[in-house]
Amino acid sequence: MNTNCLTKRAGVVLSGLVFLGLAVPSANASPSRDYYKVGVVTSLSGQMVRGGNVTRRGYDLWAETVNKQGGIEVAGHKYKVRLIYADGQSNPQSTADAAQRMITRDHVDFILGPYASGTTLGAAPITERYKVPMITGSAESPTIWTHHFKYTFGTIPSVDHTAGKIVETVVNQNPSAKTIAIFGINDPFSKSTAEAYRTEAKKLGLKILSYDVVPTDADPQPLVIKARSEKPDILAISGEISNNINAINSMKSINYSPNALLMHYGVNTNSFLKATGKWSNYVIGATLWSPKTPYKGQLFGTAQDYYKTAQIRYGSAPDYTEAASSAAGEAFAAALKEAKLTPPLTTAKREKLMKALEKINIMTFYGPIAFDTSGKWYHDNTKLNPLVIQMINGKAVIVGPGKLGNQKVVYPRPKP
Amino acid sequence: MELFVQALISGLMIGGVYLIITLGFNLAFGVLGVIDFVVGEWVMLGAFSGYWLSHYTALDPLAFLPVTAVIFAGLGFLVYLLLNHILKRRSARTLLMVFVFTFGLSTLFKGGALTAWGFNRRSMDTFLSSKTLFLGQFLIPEIRLAAFVFALVAALAVAWVLYFTRFGLSVRAVALDADKARLMGIKVNRVSAVVYCTYAALTGMAGEFIGAIYSVTPQMGVKYTIFAFFVAVLAGLGYVPGLIVAAVLLGVIESLVTIYWGAQYSLLIVFLALYAVLLLAPRGILGKGRRE
Repeated sequence: MNTNCLTKRAGVVLSGLVFLGLAVPSANASPSRDYYKVGVVTSLSGQMVRGGNVTRRGYDLWAETVNKQGGIEVAGHKYKVRLIYADGQSNPQSTADAAQRMITRDHVDFILGPYASGTTLGAAPITERYKVPMITGSAESPTIWTHHFKYTFGTIPSVDHTAGKIVETVVNQNPSAKTIAIFGINDPFSKSTAEAYRTEAKKLGLKILSYDVVPTDADPQPLVIKARSEKPDILAISGEISNNINAINSMKSINYSPNALLMHYGVNTNSFLKATGKWSNYVIGATLWSPKTPYKGQLFGTAQDYYKTAQIRYGSAPDYTEAASSAAGEAFAAALKEAKLTPPLTTAKREKLMKALEKINIMTFYGPIAFDTSGKWYHDNTKLNPLVIQMINGKAVIVGPGKLGNQKVVYPRPKP
Repeated sequence: MELFVQALISGLMIGGVYLIITLGFNLAFGVLGVIDFVVGEWVMLGAFSGYWLSHYTALDPLAFLPVTAVIFAGLGFLVYLLLNHILKRRSARTLLMVFVFTFGLSTLFKGGALTAWGFNRRSMDTFLSSKTLFLGQFLIPEIRLAAFVFALVAALAVAWVLYFTRFGLSVRAVALDADKARLMGIKVNRVSAVVYCTYAALTGMAGEFIGAIYSVTPQMGVKYTIFAFFVAVLAGLGYVPGLIVAAVLLGVIESLVTIYWGAQYSLLIVFLALYAVLLLAPRGILGKGRRE
């Protein structure tokens, strides 16, 4: 083989290596900029499109409010935020792909995370690999926190921390309630909620007449018919708002109304109230936030101020997921200020951001935010107390837990 | 015993829902040989059609069934023109192209609905929604009964047309062999167009019932696309009478498994039933489905 040939081959190999080096994605930041590039990975299509858009509203409202005030102030200078969106398509694999693209192609500084627990679990290993902090303003399944992902945080307390309080409140106020039937949807959040109901029911000595976890699209009619024949004092259902609406429509079709109907999430949302009409009356659920709470923060003001801002911006009342999503942005801002991290964030800076997030302990319109740094709720915000609510004529009345309640649970539930 | 009978009744009603969405789909497959991915979106659009007509007129959604039928027959005709254009080309991968086309159309309809009407779920109340028929200690939600009766009447009507009318003879001839049917003087395109329009109309009306039984959302179609395939395969592709048996069987299995075993096993059992049929009776449970 002659020298020319060898040189040519070496040149081709070298060019190839250089090309590969440029082409291989990295998570390191691109040239300097004076704004934070924030990735939003959530379900903008698919089964969870409703919830994904709720989180998107919360994140958007935070970004707009921060930018109206000039940006996040870090070390005497204000930096605006620019959101980049990616659709997780309501499934974990697509969410993981979307997170990967955001990190390696778009070089985001940090990520505002998905709506659902399943999709959060899809994105978490990606953010872990590339060391990009992510806060989910929505996911509530305890399975997220048991993995101890260093770079994943959540502003909403895990559902095993909250769902049991609903059962506890009803039974403590009505000791005549002795039996319970539980059914839930088979997704990480809803299944965890059903498990939390069951755990609390066992603790309180309730007789569990049935416990079912069903596929997302299952027809609730057979379960409702079964519940009607079992006659539980409490019927506890866990699911997304869509599942809850379908369950109520099934009950309506056979005119069945249990003494207490528990539904955890979404009972105070406009879409649930509109879709269920008078059948939403006396349904008991939980919320992690309400405009009536006394919390106040620097960015949005009071809980009532946030409520009004969101109402004007979107034409509908925010629920706790929307509020928690906006609060996720506030958590990032606090950590960036504390650690004095300016954009763009390198891997080293993102690691510092992660450590700063572990240390924050702030008060916002949403309530306190401080992330656990050990145990089974690692990096979850467990400082917030859930509120047990009962819907009465379209209004959410706080009925517990304990002294937090403004009035007692109406039990048994009057027939609609 | 009471619960068992109630479970059977509930299963029959669920079967009615499956029958209603698969009837037109199976017919279209039989005649055009097309596995139509749009079936779930016809259901979704039918539900929205009933919802919006009722919303703006304050009339009961079920009163608009004939209107929905006409609207969807028209839409079905437009889609058929495009489908026919692909089928006529007789390229090497015609069926795959049709499959991709219908999949794309389904995505377009779903995305369009999401953009136009948002992601919130809506309930569609009818005069039957809160009514229950009591037969002794057994109860039947009237809206589901109405859907079941509609499905049964529609299936029997379709079967009557297919087996007792001249037009039905043409349809069966085209389903058997379109080229030979054309040589016999049958206007194959016209027959196919009528069948597709009928399929779209039936499925649109089915959507109204389903929207009233459950709720209305742009995402609702996916589940029904999957179930339409299930029931059609179980019945035997292209064999309409088998549908009644297959739909009821699936509904009853789902109901009994949910009540006696656990709802988490219902899909498993349904899949197992489907696999068993595919292995032991690939032409459907009555053995009369289309031979491929």
